[in-house]
Amino acid sequence: MANSYLKSESKKLATWYFTVAATLFGAQLLFGLVAAAQYVIPGFLFEILDFSVARMLHINALVVWMVFAMFGSVYWLLPDETGIETVGINLGKLLFWIFTAAVTVVVLVYIFIQVGAADETSIWFIHEGREYIEAPRWADLGITVVALGFVANLFMTGMKGNRSGIVTVLMADMIAFAGLYLTGMFYTDNITVDQFWWWWVIHLWVEATWEVFVGAIAAYGLITMIGAHRKVVEMWLWIEVTMLFGSGILGMGHHYFWIGTPEYWWEIGALFSALEPLPLVAMFIHVLYDWGKMQGEEDAKGQEISVITNKPAFTWFVLNAFGNFLGAGIWGFFHTLPQVNLYTHGTQFTSAHGHLAFFGAYATILVGMMYIAVQGKNGIKVLNNTKSTIWATSMIVGGVVGMTVALTIAGYSDVIISRAQMGATWAGYFDAQATTWLVQGMVWRLLMGVVTFVGFIFLAKDLLTIGKSANHVR
Amino acid sequence: MVDEALMSRDILVDDFLTIFVSSTLVLIFGGFYVGIYTAVKVKLLKQWTMPFAYLFWVLTAYCLYLMGSLMHVNELTAKALVVAAIGLLLLPHAVYYMQDHVHQENEH
Repeated sequence: MANSYLKSESKKLATWYFTVAATLFGAQLLFGLVAAAQYVIPGFLFEILDFSVARMLHINALVVWMVFAMFGSVYWLLPDETGIETVGINLGKLLFWIFTAAVTVVVLVYIFIQVGAADETSIWFIHEGREYIEAPRWADLGITVVALGFVANLFMTGMKGNRSGIVTVLMADMIAFAGLYLTGMFYTDNITVDQFWWWWVIHLWVEATWEVFVGAIAAYGLITMIGAHRKVVEMWLWIEVTMLFGSGILGMGHHYFWIGTPEYWWEIGALFSALEPLPLVAMFIHVLYDWGKMQGEEDAKGQEISVITNKPAFTWFVLNAFGNFLGAGIWGFFHTLPQVNLYTHGTQFTSAHGHLAFFGAYATILVGMMYIAVQGKNGIKVLNNTKSTIWATSMIVGGVVGMTVALTIAGYSDVIISRAQMGATWAGYFDAQATTWLVQGMVWRLLMGVVTFVGFIFLAKDLLTIGKSANHVR
Repeated sequence: MVDEALMSRDILVDDFLTIFVSSTLVLIFGGFYVGIYTAVKVKLLKQWTMPFAYLFWVLTAYCLYLMGSLMHVNELTAKALVVAAIGLLLLPHAVYYMQDHVHQENEH
């Protein structure tokens, strides 16, 4: 599509990022389907694309598409928030191509080389073997350069232009986001020490910096989509930042329960994990409060019109409020205390939580940002839903919720048999895997995964064509 | 199976379902409490519904207690759960207080 309505180079760059993000989202779902099928048909693609490889591609694509979409979101909102073109935009474009090329090479290596000898060469050129961030070291260095360049652009633009509350939060958040990646890059031969630092990337990304990022994007979305008062929205944002960092940083303790760290992490993890749902409740109210307030002001004028200027994006933003609360909040809380985590750790419960939390807390709002970009790119004043929007949203949400329910049921069986009854033994593990509940749960997870993937196809079609639909206000 | 520093005794097999359901209800009831409180304050609900908000907070606190008891949590975790319950009680009051002030400053 031509960028005819986009005057800002930063926004054009954002659309590039969103395009790659959406492509990687599709790849994530596809490899997830392969891994899900292998639970049901264990010989499926055996020695061609083994479960370990399919899973690695599934979860790494997840992280990378979200990072692409996050960079895209920042490049999209910067001109609006600062009032100027992004400083260093040509550097930003160069870094985009480096990042995309690096990810392409890494994915091809994952697919065609897959594994190597247990030596330094594999760490440098195949993968590092660290879940979620398995990129080989050369790519790690490339990602670091890209992230630092991105942060530099953000800082230079923020310092030169109008530095709103949203931009200030993003500046602080993104430097933490980029800096934390470094903690997952060095090698130690002690698995406890290695995991200790690795969690600094994974946990402090998803439960601190990414959540703060979501808060900032939600604030931007509420201002642009429903005209919420900036001062009110930014006040909420600061409260959320305080609560998220206050509970999220030491909430990391819940990952330190069983990796060989000192026992005081049980107490730290329990205390801060118990507090972690509070900001999620606050974020949930935030969106609904502002929506109710702005619609109420419009209704008071006697005008029965919606205040929402981008209905697909706003739907995804509301889904984010619910999804964050459900996936990260409820599904996280019920196995976060060490006393019960002792039994649930590493079972399908974790998988259920992971699926709903990543989708609810991050995928939703990033898809919402893609719709905001589509609106801007096509010069549309009010973007309405199409049939594809409704099919995409219903099928993706229905599919992910279905997968989560299936995994939760499977996880319950896993916990009771393999942990509570048989004491975390190998025999217990295999007995649990053979139970009807777990086996059927895996079948339902696969079916719901197919539903999600079909929903993604509708989403891709919608993002490509919705701008041409005639039912918008231009 | 477990270190006594963490819990006084193992969780009974029959108690797992109650633990999972009660911990889920902690957030659902907590969400109702915060939701009703906020809705009354922004006049989406009538004032007489406010006691229901506090009723939901009581249910939240009870579920936390039930969950903690069945898990046989140690003393410090029990205190953490009490702090979480009180935090949830105060949260909407504090947020609404600040929210309202900012709204008034913004509108006048």
